Amino acid sequence: MKQFYVLIGNFGSGKTEISLHIALDAAKRNKKVVMVDLDVINPYFRLAERKKEIEAAGIKLLHPNFAYATVDVPSLPPDIYSVFIDKSDVVVFDVGGDPAGATALGQYKPNFEAIEAGQLEAGQLQVLCVVNPRRPFSATAELVLDMLSKIQLRSRLSINGFINNGNLSTETTAEDLRLGYDVLKRVADTTGIPVLYTAGRAAPLREFLDGKPDARYIGQVLQITTYMHRDWDNFTRYGI
Amino acid sequence: MAKNLMKGCEAIAEAAIQAGCRYFFGYPITPQNDIPEYMSARMPKIGGCFLQAESEVAAINMVYGAAGAGARVMTSSSSPGISLKMEGISYIAGAELPCVIVNMMRGGPGLGSIQASQGDYFQTTKGGGHGDYHMIAYAPASVQEAIDLMQTAFDVADKYRTPVMVLADGIIGQMMEPVEIKENTGNAPKKDWATTGWKKGERARAVVNSLYIEVEDLEEMTERLQARYRQIEKDETLVECYNTDGAEFILCAYGTVARICKTAIAQLQKQGVKAGLVRPITVWPFPAKAVHDAMCAPGVKMALCVEISAGQMIEDVRLAVNGEREIAFLGHAGSRVPTAEEIAEKVLAMRGA
Repeated sequence: MKQFYVLIGNFGSGKTEISLHIALDAAKRNKKVVMVDLDVINPYFRLAERKKEIEAAGIKLLHPNFAYATVDVPSLPPDIYSVFIDKSDVVVFDVGGDPAGATALGQYKPNFEAIEAGQLEAGQLQVLCVVNPRRPFSATAELVLDMLSKIQLRSRLSINGFINNGNLSTETTAEDLRLGYDVLKRVADTTGIPVLYTAGRAAPLREFLDGKPDARYIGQVLQITTYMHRDWDNFTRYGI
Repeated sequence: MAKNLMKGCEAIAEAAIQAGCRYFFGYPITPQNDIPEYMSARMPKIGGCFLQAESEVAAINMVYGAAGAGARVMTSSSSPGISLKMEGISYIAGAELPCVIVNMMRGGPGLGSIQASQGDYFQTTKGGGHGDYHMIAYAPASVQEAIDLMQTAFDVADKYRTPVMVLADGIIGQMMEPVEIKENTGNAPKKDWATTGWKKGERARAVVNSLYIEVEDLEEMTERLQARYRQIEKDETLVECYNTDGAEFILCAYGTVARICKTAIAQLQKQGVKAGLVRPITVWPFPAKAVHDAMCAPGVKMALCVEISAGQMIEDVRLAVNGEREIAFLGHAGSRVPTAEEIAEKVLAMRGA
C-alpha cells in the first residue's frame, strides 16, 4: 500500500528535517521511497543539498530544476507527476514554507483527489502541518489557525494532522515541546484536526513524555536525528 | 521575552521594530529577503508601513523622505542592491539625516553568488557613495549580536543624525539560532529639525537639503560633518579583544569570520599554541588603537588577518599597525568561507616557517 506524506507549515518549522526522518526511516524498513523537494521559496536549507546522502540511502529525490544551483528560478520538473503512478511504497513531499510555499502544491490537486477518492488506494494520504511555536508567527493557537486557513486555501488540500515540533535547536528542553503541546491542543480542539506526531531529539522528548501529557494530543512519537540544521561548527562545510 | 528560534534576517527585522522602527522600504534580493518578508507581515499589525518599492533606488529615497520627516526608518538589501542605494546614502549623509541600512553581504562583484561574503568592506568604510562622508558600520558576529546592534544602530543614527549600516553577511542572515529580543526598547529623541509642518513663532523652518551652491556654505557643512565624525571615532568605536593577553599569534577578523576564528583559537589551544583575536565590531570607525595594541604587544610573534574577500580590511589593519609588524592574510575572494581548520593550519604553518 502506497503512502503519501505531504509536509507543510510555516517557514523554518522543521518540515525538511522531519521529511528526511520519515523517508530514511521507511528506507531502513526496505521500502521504496521517493522524496519530492517542492520548495520554491527558499534557495537554502533544502533537500536538494542532501542529494548525495539521500541517494546513498536508496531514496529517489525529485527537486526543482535549478535547486541548489544558486539560480533563483523555481521551476518544477514534470517527473514529479510520476510519483502518483510509479511503484514506490512511500512518497514524501517536502513543501516550501508559509502559504506562499504551499501554492506549489495546488497544481497536484487532481492527483491528490484521485488518491482520496480511492482511485489509487484509500487512506494513503497524510497532509501534515509542522508547528514549532518557538518560530515567528507560530507562538499561539490564533497564529497557527490563521496560518492553517491560508495554507489550506493556497495548497487546495485539507490538513489531516499536526506535528508538534516544539524546539529551540541546540537549546531545546521539554518546555518547548510542552508549549507546542499546549498550542496544538487548543488548535486541535477548535478544528477537530488531530495531533498525529510529536517530534524531537531523545532527551527533551523523554522528559516531556515523562510528564504524562494527554495521549490524545501526542500521536506517534518521532525521535529524530538532526540532518539539516547547521551549527557554527559545521556550516563552513555546507555553506548556507 | 522568552527565547525564540529565529533566522538572522527575521531577528534583525523584529529587533528594528522593537527599537521603534515603523517604516520599512525595500526591494527583494537574496539573501536578505526574509527581512522584507517579515516586515510585510509585522508592520501592518503594529500600525507601521511596509512598502516594496519599484527598485532599490526608490527604496533608499523613500528612506530619505521618511528620515527627513523624523521617522525611525530602515531599508535592507544585499550587495548589488546596496550598490544601487549608494547615491541615496550620500544624499542622506549630506542632508544629515538618521536611518539604518542593513547589508547582508553576498558574493561579488556583479551578481556574484547568493552565498555569504565580506566583499563590501571597501564600499562600506571608504565611501561607496560620493563626497566626504562616513557611515557608522556595525559588523555583528552572531544573530544575538545583530539584534543588540540594531537597537544601538537606531540610537546612534538619531544621536549623530547620520546613516548607520549594519554590515552582516548571508550566514548571519540565514543561520537560525535561539535568541532573545528585548521588547520595546525604542526611545527616539525629539527631532526639532524634522520637516513635520511649521507654525509661525514655533521654531525655525526645517529644511532638508544637501545642495550648497556657495563654496563657503558647503565647507561649513562638511566641516560640521567632519567634527561629528571625529566625535563618533572617539565615542562610538566598538571592538572585542578575545584571548589576546599573552597570545603569541593575533588574528584580526570581523563578523562571521571572527566567530570561525574563535573555533580555530580553541583548536590551537589544544595543540598548545596561544592565539588571540581582535574583532572590530564597528568597521567604521575602525578600532585602530585596539588593533595596534593587540598586534604590537610584546610577546606577539605574528599577526594574521582573515576575511571572505581578497583582502580589504587588511588595509586598515596595516594602517593601524603602521609598519610595526608584518600582517599575513588568509581569505578567499567570492563566497568560499575559511574553515576553522584552515585558519589553524595557516597559523601552524606560519609558526613553523
